[in-house]
Amino acid sequence: MDTLVKSIYDNILEGQHKIVESKTQEALNSGIAPKVILDEGMIAAMAEVGRLFEIGEYFVPEMMVAARAMKAGLALLKPQLVKANVKSLGKVGIGTVQGDLHDIGKNLVSIMLEGAGYEILDLGTDVSPEKFVEAVKTDKVDVLALSALLTTTMPNMISTIAALEQAGLRKKVKVMIGGAPITEGFARQIGADGYAPDASRAVAVAKGLLA
Amino acid sequence: MTIAPCRPKWASTMTDRERFNRQMHYQPVDRSFNMEFGYWEENYKQWPMFVENGVTNELEANHYFSFDRIWAISGNVWLSPSFANQIVEERATTTVIMNEDGVLAEVPKDRHDSIPHFLKPSVVTPADWQRVKAERLQRDDPTRKMDIEALKFFDPVDRDFPLGINCGSIIGKIRDMLTFEGLAYAIYDYPDMIEDMVETACVLVEDSLDQLLPHFKLDFAAGWEDICYKGGPIVSPKFFREIVMPRYKRISRKLHAAGVDIWYVDCDGDVRPILPAMMEGGVNCLFPFEVNGCSHPAELLNKYGKDLRIMGGVDKIELGKGREAIKAYLHTLIPLVERGGYIPFCDHRCPPNVDPDDYLYYLDLKEELFGMKR
Repeated sequence: MDTLVKSIYDNILEGQHKIVESKTQEALNSGIAPKVILDEGMIAAMAEVGRLFEIGEYFVPEMMVAARAMKAGLALLKPQLVKANVKSLGKVGIGTVQGDLHDIGKNLVSIMLEGAGYEILDLGTDVSPEKFVEAVKTDKVDVLALSALLTTTMPNMISTIAALEQAGLRKKVKVMIGGAPITEGFARQIGADGYAPDASRAVAVAKGLLA
Repeated sequence: MTIAPCRPKWASTMTDRERFNRQMHYQPVDRSFNMEFGYWEENYKQWPMFVENGVTNELEANHYFSFDRIWAISGNVWLSPSFANQIVEERATTTVIMNEDGVLAEVPKDRHDSIPHFLKPSVVTPADWQRVKAERLQRDDPTRKMDIEALKFFDPVDRDFPLGINCGSIIGKIRDMLTFEGLAYAIYDYPDMIEDMVETACVLVEDSLDQLLPHFKLDFAAGWEDICYKGGPIVSPKFFREIVMPRYKRISRKLHAAGVDIWYVDCDGDVRPILPAMMEGGVNCLFPFEVNGCSHPAELLNKYGKDLRIMGGVDKIELGKGREAIKAYLHTLIPLVERGGYIPFCDHRCPPNVDPDDYLYYLDLKEELFGMKR
């Protein structure tokens, strides 16, 4: 691995956003291909963050500062990626379901998915089934990621899937769900395609759904 | 409207106070302590038994169901004054408020129960913190001096219910002030500020304990953090051990010196990664023990033995699934109640998706399994 790219990788792991920003600029100036910086420096670093989170060595603060560091570099990289016609791994529309206003879980999942190379369409909170349908119809998302914190809003995951079916769009999109009261059993019961118990494992679920 | 209980208090041969203390110290009891942890706001509007009987809050519900009595007194241990609760903006389906922690938050217009959408805290930088500390967290603020005689109302000579003392929050209220994401970043960006916030919280609790402990004979201490979620703690165990735990130890020393040897902390979510540090700091009981976010209570009671008690641990998700699920789940708790150190009740506020008739079935079954044996 190029030393500059390694430095980006290491400083993402350490959450050093200012260093990541300057090293990314340095890497671009030195002619390293944007995709190499992205894949080997950034996505690889966030994959390691996910692994460390899953084995209980990294926790939420480490995940968030690493993601912040990656975003600092990605902001410089994005225009170059567009120029080089580098495509994302897929487009994910993510939102907290209708009736639920919190966004912490959704934000953590967005961080990890973006860190893994997915394009994120953040639909916000209190998202109606119709708005999720619109994201599939108009924004052509490949995956819908639904978040719910409350037992009382879990049924809105069912109505969102029903709305997709009614619109004739259910087969055009994969649906993954997660949140505090959500279980694998509930996901199976309502016909979701995937369940993510936490932000880190959401990446593996998305990869599996789009494989 | 006078609220009449819908059922008699469980038969007993001990006072609530005696039972609580014996149950929490693994001594024989007449029956389990019978308590619950309240209901969502929607329950008071949707459950016919609440609506028809004028039950509008937790205290009234406790009276309605004839639960055992338990109470806690408190000093003034955090913001004084709090930020003024005020409406900042009305939107289509939400209202933006400034809450008492100084955070701009979006809440549902119809006020249905939901965690707010936190928009912007008042404290981000050390300069922000110094200002708020000077304005609202001074030790010598006159409002921190408690009226001991007034609080004595809760501690009559013949008190027959357990009385606890509030030990405040050493990191949870800091999270409330900074927001979840704000705390995560601030631990990295401003570690000295975070440590000063933790120290300030600790000192205010210590001052409160110094005022109150000499005047009351207390049965337990009650703290609050809510610093975990389903995926674990929102601070690292390293941070908790190095920064929070030493403050817990200081509080624990004061409690023990006053003869208070039961300290529960209300912390939802998966507490397991920080539990060793909590216990090393002196916490020996978890409340209300959210099952879906953490584990079945048996896992931790078996792991830590008599060093750990649990209050709560009745999975609200199972309560919502109907009678067979309720029965199956309650049966898993029988050995835990029998061993002592465990008081069963719903693992948070009971949500409105629980059928009220099923809820009454749950209360009846709880009495059949954990009440006095005939």
